Amino acid sequence: MARPSGIFLIFLFFGFLTSDAPGRQTGPPRDASSAPTRVIKIPVRAITTQEVSGIANTDTAALLVSPGAEDELPEGPNGFDVLGDDSLVITDPLRNSVSFFDSQGKFRSAWKIGFSADSVTAVPNGNILIREARTGQVHVFDAKGQERPEERAEIPKSPEAKILSGTSGTVQRPAVGGFQGGLLTIQFEKPGSTLVSLENLGTDSEGDTYVALEATTGATGDDINVSKHVRRYSADGKIIAEIANLPLDYYIPPVNELRVHRALVYQLFATKSEVRINIWNTNQRDFRSLR
Amino acid sequence: MLFRLSLLWVWICLAAGSPIHAQPEVIARLPHTTRAEILARARKVANHTWTCGASNLRASCSSRYQSDWKAGQRVTGVPYCWGGTDGPEDFEKKLSKGLAAGAHSRYGVLKCTAGIDCSGYILLTWGLSGHAYSTSNLRIIAGKPKYNWFTDMKPGDVLNKPGSHVVLFTGYYPDGGIGVCEASGSQSRVVCHKTTWSRFKGYIPLQYKGIDD
Repeated sequence: MARPSGIFLIFLFFGFLTSDAPGRQTGPPRDASSAPTRVIKIPVRAITTQEVSGIANTDTAALLVSPGAEDELPEGPNGFDVLGDDSLVITDPLRNSVSFFDSQGKFRSAWKIGFSADSVTAVPNGNILIREARTGQVHVFDAKGQERPEERAEIPKSPEAKILSGTSGTVQRPAVGGFQGGLLTIQFEKPGSTLVSLENLGTDSEGDTYVALEATTGATGDDINVSKHVRRYSADGKIIAEIANLPLDYYIPPVNELRVHRALVYQLFATKSEVRINIWNTNQRDFRSLR
Repeated sequence: MLFRLSLLWVWICLAAGSPIHAQPEVIARLPHTTRAEILARARKVANHTWTCGASNLRASCSSRYQSDWKAGQRVTGVPYCWGGTDGPEDFEKKLSKGLAAGAHSRYGVLKCTAGIDCSGYILLTWGLSGHAYSTSNLRIIAGKPKYNWFTDMKPGDVLNKPGSHVVLFTGYYPDGGIGVCEASGSQSRVVCHKTTWSRFKGYIPLQYKGIDD
């Protein structure tokens, strides 16, 4: 690689020292984020290298995290779901258990399942499907925490979605209750933003469909720059709510990031000091679309 | 002030020909490979099935070590081992010698364990042996592609976050999601799966400089 000439470097050097880059506006203002309606905070306890053995038997109300290191991501709670009574089940993989919290985040109980779990899904018949992180096997548990080894199950897959262009796509809606289902067309027209992915988070019995959209403002910049939004569409395809710019600076990458339950959108968001469940009420005026 | 000092450091690095920039002799010595070979190596490590013996549950060099596995357990995917670089053949040799299968950074640096970590896996798929490069200096042997990352990445490229993690890109899905293979600490092994872009916010796409396109 050719090195810069001396004159150029001197010019560059003085330019740097006289610049006020940190305070300078370098691009268009970012879209505002939609603040959660409510945040549940659950404490975590970090494992140190001195106490790795025996830690699994410590206070189960605090979820365990391993801070990771150079070339190793932090590990810890990365799966969750919302149960029928609005309570929460969260994986605690370093303890080989899953923990239950009430709708306010108060610890209720833990199941010692005997394996490290990275995904948990409550299904309509009351069973809970728990995926073993180290094998990918899905275990079926009943509502009392008894494993049903004779039952085989797969975690339900999201209905098909398709990106058609940088501003449009489609998601398939299943028939639910009296709703017939069918294709939903997504239009994403935000100046300077390009749609990059779509995910159907669920369709309720009214036919309302919740869609997660990922978008970018630059495809060749310094690093990957994406934003994430969740929209609620009515059965006739109109946007009736939008949650913009979800927080994405996860400490632990989630496997089950988003769940929808009774018009509430839940996000699992682990930080260094706590596991947050961010909740947005899409019935609230803050998120209702004026379009 | 700190900002200016950091810029000054970048300037000094530029002037001094810092190793973060490609040194022609290093690039010239890189083994050449094709994208098909990279993917074949990646799948071989992810699909390797092994059995954990009782002797592979303990790490002779650490009293704190706890295994992720059970005796007799059949596992698909070479286990995650922080600092490790073992492909299937080396891993099996070490298993037969009674080394522990896999390890995480929380147990410290261990020489009595076998497996592979995230950057070791990427180097292996690119046809490199050893652990001369990590996520922090992968840029020496891999450049940032100028094409649109959301539409034009090619299988065999990687998404790298210096000091943190790196994954191998394997392809796009119709819904815009991406396929990756990675040595995953949370899954304790090498896995290939579909994921979302949000997970890679702040990562940098890189392309190995020894690829024959």
